[in-house]
Amino acid sequence: MTLPSDSPKSPTYARRDVLRITAASLIASTISGLVPTQSQGASAGKSGSDPLQSAGVLAFGPDNVLFVGDIKGAAVHAFALRASDLTPQLDVELGNFHNFEGRDFVRGVDQKLAAIFGTTYDKIVINDLVVHQPSQQLFISVERGRSTDALPAIVKVNHGELEVLDLAAIPHSQVAIPNLPDPEAMLEFEPQRTFAITDVKYYGGEIFVTGVSNQRFASTLHRIPYPFSDRMTTSTVEIWHPVHGEFETRAPIIRQLIREVQGKPYLFGVYGCTPLVRFPLAALKDGAHVRGDVIGELGYGSNPLDMLTFTDPFDQKEYLLVTIDVRSASRIAVADLGTAPPEPTGGPIDFGPGGLGKTQGLLPVRPEHTAILNPKWAVVIHRHPKTAYRLDVSSLAMPYFFERKDGMSEMNWPDGPDPFKYRDHRGEISRGG
Amino acid sequence: MATGFVSAVAKASETDQPSLMLDFDAIRQAGSVRASNFDPDFATSLRQWVQAGGKLASILRVKVAQTEATAGDNLPDVFGRYEILGDGLRFIPYFPFERRVTYKASFDPRPFGRRELSEILTLEFSLPGEPDTLPPEVTHVFPSSDHLPENLLRFYVRFSNPMQRGRTEAEILLLGPDGRPAADVLYRAPVELWDASMRQLTILLDPGRLKRGVGPNRELGPPLEVGQEYMLVVGSGMVDLSGNHLPKAFHKRFRVTEAVREHVAVEQWRIAPPAAGSRNPLVLMFPEPLDAALLLQAITVISADGQPVAGRIVVDQCEERWSFAPALPWNAGSYHVRVASGLEDPCGNSVMAAFDRPLRPGSDLTYEAERRSIQFHVA
Repeated sequence: MTLPSDSPKSPTYARRDVLRITAASLIASTISGLVPTQSQGASAGKSGSDPLQSAGVLAFGPDNVLFVGDIKGAAVHAFALRASDLTPQLDVELGNFHNFEGRDFVRGVDQKLAAIFGTTYDKIVINDLVVHQPSQQLFISVERGRSTDALPAIVKVNHGELEVLDLAAIPHSQVAIPNLPDPEAMLEFEPQRTFAITDVKYYGGEIFVTGVSNQRFASTLHRIPYPFSDRMTTSTVEIWHPVHGEFETRAPIIRQLIREVQGKPYLFGVYGCTPLVRFPLAALKDGAHVRGDVIGELGYGSNPLDMLTFTDPFDQKEYLLVTIDVRSASRIAVADLGTAPPEPTGGPIDFGPGGLGKTQGLLPVRPEHTAILNPKWAVVIHRHPKTAYRLDVSSLAMPYFFERKDGMSEMNWPDGPDPFKYRDHRGEISRGG
Repeated sequence: MATGFVSAVAKASETDQPSLMLDFDAIRQAGSVRASNFDPDFATSLRQWVQAGGKLASILRVKVAQTEATAGDNLPDVFGRYEILGDGLRFIPYFPFERRVTYKASFDPRPFGRRELSEILTLEFSLPGEPDTLPPEVTHVFPSSDHLPENLLRFYVRFSNPMQRGRTEAEILLLGPDGRPAADVLYRAPVELWDASMRQLTILLDPGRLKRGVGPNRELGPPLEVGQEYMLVVGSGMVDLSGNHLPKAFHKRFRVTEAVREHVAVEQWRIAPPAAGSRNPLVLMFPEPLDAALLLQAITVISADGQPVAGRIVVDQCEERWSFAPALPWNAGSYHVRVASGLEDPCGNSVMAAFDRPLRPGSDLTYEAERRSIQFHVA
């Protein structure tokens, strides 16, 4: 009998602390390859002054500042990208918007990252995707290794090629996130630390950091001015969880979005299992324990992946998009976010949907990571539907988030019907900008 | 600066010929690839070439050898940085090379246009292995007998090393009399059933097919057929914590005997009491094999003062014999053996009841509880 020989390659568990003891001078002198060194030896190819210990959530702030959540290092980093770190991608072909045909920017991104980092694809974890809007360049946070041996990197996409950012050379500042759960502290299925920094967003001169702390009310929200200073505002947050029928203070906001609605700034958050919650920004004061208003229950038994807004290119209205791991993505009008009444608290367990969840639009998309590229196109990192072991980076036309080339339909026959006039628009390829 | 490098290609480095080799720093566990033994002008021409726009990444390249693209694109090279040496060029990967990954390096000196440097050097390498980890092996499969009842509930597979999760479904099969995997026989637990040491794996046969009258049993019948021969296979894709595969698949062949649908009858055990003053083992003999794992925890020897006696348990003779050697010599007097109600045979029949028994009103538990203690005298 024959047993499968192509089982996944084994992970290694050797610690690779070598990375952090590299002499910085060696790096500086050899990146260009112009200065010979007498050294018979060599150290790791990553600089010792690279401050990242792990690479989690990403967000862009003003002036090309890239924020990186670093759970292992208990910090949020700010890398002030220089002009040379950014390559405009406005000439990149995005697809045929009229015909719902996106383009693959990087096929098999997990396999390619594995090749770049000298490993096998099962060791590659992509933690986040963010778009630098002015250049439309994509940045991805990556780790090689799935255990204590994980090593972090930030990679950008340059015309389909993956390029590793030389973080040691980029102007950098960081802020420590206090009271992170003890590395040994466990939840029922995983370490609490996994959720220490669930999201980072920039709004109006501050970053907002959600996650869990080691405090009694574990679900925590930090407001930290940028440029970083000693000031930090920390509130603990509580919600009524309709599906669980109880007030909850531990489970963190998984994704957040900060914006004005009808002239007032709010923080909107989504939680696991999947309440949509509204907090007036003014309520998030230092030391405050804040109860958010649940304005929607989007569906039990699922986890939010991304939370963002887009403008529908047809009706020009703004919509919230929440992508969810085991459900269709949810689309809700931004105008409704401010006016929706809070769901009642104190009732019995209610599997929902409730509030805005009852009127949400469902979108046929479930990518692992989603970001908005420009007014017509989103970008996703998703499992290729026909080859489940492969991750692709692709464009996706808004507002339907529908990819025609992945489906089978009557219109795909050469002499088939053409109710959407695909054939009339076949040559229309849009690019960035 | 690093010290203590050893070359993995010592022979090549002893010659004066240009060569490509792996340098490995055993202390830092970090490797780099070096093209060296070039003439003294080499570094000068290399630098001039770089100044003229040449890319070092195009002449000294390292790739992961065993990875193939599935998307039809070429996979990129391993990313890293370069050092120009006095007599050559070094590549240092961004992240250290990994063990158990094979790499292919090549150095192409042709862009320099020198006639004596026209040969592309290549090197396939992997890091030296960790010296003291032996590959895992299957040390035992329980039940030990090669004759197993039709209503067998579980196997235990014991490994020499702690193992990794996630491979059981693909690697553990039960082959039927025709030599092909028997369908729907093994229960695929949502979580693989490893013990805390990750050395013992429990494999269940589908209880739904074992229990007479429930859906899977009615549709598919019992998983095993009396009189037929089967084989449990542990595939070589099982991997230990260090990443080592089983060197070869393990097979356990067995023939199926009549089902056992009786509770474990403690009153039928034979007991051989030891002599006072000795540390000879107390021996229990069972008429049928019992569960190997439970036998190590479900039977306790209690002294006359009600305290458990410390000692060492050995289970052998295909789990039909249990022996207990005390840490201190036996005292003369009365002892008893206490049997936990959870003790089962390999079919899941317990001291209390058969695994698959007719439903009847009420319970006969009191009757069973009285029979879970065996008194013996040491003289």
